[in-house]
Amino acid sequence: MQIALQQLVNGLTVGAFYALIALGYTMVYGIIRLINFAHGDIYAVGAFLGLSVYGLLAFFRVGDPVLATLVALVVSMGCTGLLGVLLYRVAYRPLLRARLSILISAIGGSLTLEYGLFLVYSPSFLVYPHLFGRAGLTAGDIQISWLQILIFASSIVLMAALYLMVHRTKIGMAMRALAINQDAARLMGVDVSRVIALTFFLGSVLAAFAGVLTGLYYSQISFLMGFLIGLKAFTAAVLGGIGNIPGAVLGGFLLGILESLAAGYFSSRWKDVVAFAILIVILVVRPRGLLGERVVERM
Amino acid sequence: MRRVLGVLVTLMLLVPLTAPGAGAQGAPIRIGVPVPLSGGNAKMGDDIAKAATLAAEEANAKGGLLGRKVEIMSFDDACDAQQSVTAAHKLLDAGVVAVAGGYCSSAAIPASAVYHDAGVAFVADASSNPKLTDQGFENVFRVIGRDDQQGPYAAGFMMKTLKAKRIAIIHDNTLYAKGLADATNAALTGRAGVQVVFFDAVTPGEKDFSAVLTKVKSLKPDVTYYTGYYPEGGLIAKQFKDLGVSGKFMAGDANNDPTFVSEAGNASEGVFVTSTPLPQDQATAKAFIDRYKKRWNQDPGPYSALEYDAVNVVLNAIKQSGSADRAAIVKAIAATKMYRGATGAISFDKKGDRTSVLYITYIIKDGKFVPYGVS
Repeated sequence: MQIALQQLVNGLTVGAFYALIALGYTMVYGIIRLINFAHGDIYAVGAFLGLSVYGLLAFFRVGDPVLATLVALVVSMGCTGLLGVLLYRVAYRPLLRARLSILISAIGGSLTLEYGLFLVYSPSFLVYPHLFGRAGLTAGDIQISWLQILIFASSIVLMAALYLMVHRTKIGMAMRALAINQDAARLMGVDVSRVIALTFFLGSVLAAFAGVLTGLYYSQISFLMGFLIGLKAFTAAVLGGIGNIPGAVLGGFLLGILESLAAGYFSSRWKDVVAFAILIVILVVRPRGLLGERVVERM
Repeated sequence: MRRVLGVLVTLMLLVPLTAPGAGAQGAPIRIGVPVPLSGGNAKMGDDIAKAATLAAEEANAKGGLLGRKVEIMSFDDACDAQQSVTAAHKLLDAGVVAVAGGYCSSAAIPASAVYHDAGVAFVADASSNPKLTDQGFENVFRVIGRDDQQGPYAAGFMMKTLKAKRIAIIHDNTLYAKGLADATNAALTGRAGVQVVFFDAVTPGEKDFSAVLTKVKSLKPDVTYYTGYYPEGGLIAKQFKDLGVSGKFMAGDANNDPTFVSEAGNASEGVFVTSTPLPQDQATAKAFIDRYKKRWNQDPGPYSALEYDAVNVVLNAIKQSGSADRAAIVKAIAATKMYRGATGAISFDKKGDRTSVLYITYIIKDGKFVPYGVS
């Protein structure tokens, strides 16, 4: 029982990362029907920018770990958000009407970011400062670190804020209107390009948040770190119903827990096989994902 | 996707390399050095290529070989089976007379067949999978030990020094890691009172191994031995401590890297690493380390000295045979007897494996790899 609970904790931690990144995939798909292949690499950029901020703060002798982390998060999220907008402006906006070209452009964006990091930073693995120890809660054999609790809690708060923004604000209404019908939204006076740019900004901000937390929690980052997790997060978005915000969150946590249980009770080597086989079954039964790709109001 | 890019990068690297070398009397003698220059192992590849360049520069400073300059041609194999074969063909097209390098066994083995077909000598510096020399190719040699030599050594250390009864083994399904894990497992199986309680693989490139470690924890091991590479090794060592798994953590020679320590932080203290001795722990390597530091302004990597020796074994063979003919070089390398390299005396057995390989165990203390006990 204790082991099962520990595996659940493990799964929820990984799941939080999947969910945060899956949101970026799902929002962009919901609005312009694009699978943004570069999104995993945006997450990697967020992690690297965070590391730079920590380095800069250490240089100016800012020793307080909480303050340093807050600054690193804010700067990285802001800059990465703007990078997401830039990517949209440069690589996607001119191609919005060319379905295949825009996909290739996304792959190009992904490679540009990956090898941009390779050249600007380093081909080898970089290591975050070990700011927060392994202190936390212990119940019997179950270990939960404060950092894990922070990751889980803050991602839930961010996701809830995003949901409220999309459903309770005017700009959120514009986003939903765009998802339903771009031309109609434009006729109603919605600044389409600005709203799409905002969507990229929000998705990138969440990815950067996940990136900095990844560095803090796992300590190791590398220029290819976004590749595998991007694939998994995209899977999570499809699992929950792509274009659907609560779906991406549910899909992320579910995939994390499935993987964790498969590794714990079956075999780590077969983890991906088991987790993805279950996923195929779910998709065969529910082709539109668990919560469905809502046709009328996708987000 | 990444593979395509790797090829592009290789092509870009090719441009400066194919530019004709100036000032050499006659065509230069070209030695091929395939190493990972992109991907997760790019740093190792860089360390290895630098050692090869140093060996060539030193030979040239002494007037070259047979009145010709020595030139190192380095191609990216990305630790990938397909790309290493591509790199091998490119090296052959460039007219290399012998090859000394490689890092991952999974890249070196497929490439070795290409070199075999062309009759070109291949001296591996870091590929330790037994298969490499078990293929029966007369042109393949290695200056590093074999995994089935390190496996029994690691098993002996666990049983005798650590008195371990319950042992967990984790690998990453790559050829090298699986080979070392299998060899260790085989050496432990059937020993009285010793039980391998866990044997499974993790996926390279992932960051979260808490699920598999939670399972290991429930089996209460005395020692957990990880045989994969350091990028995952550092993470596993950290999560091992975070989850409070019982017993000692021990890792194979691909974890013998400072990044392992910086990734794991405090959790690396007391971790054991089985390895061939680092250059700085070998008296024979002192002079090499000084020259390497002077030339490159950085410390040599864990495989730099081995690569330096691999290139020098080739150069020595050319000198001995007085010919840069591919077949003559193969013959002369096979006849190498007690060549005094930076990693000690080098001779090869019939298979092309190095005779008398030394293994030691390091323990990480205050963030440093300290020799624990020489055997």
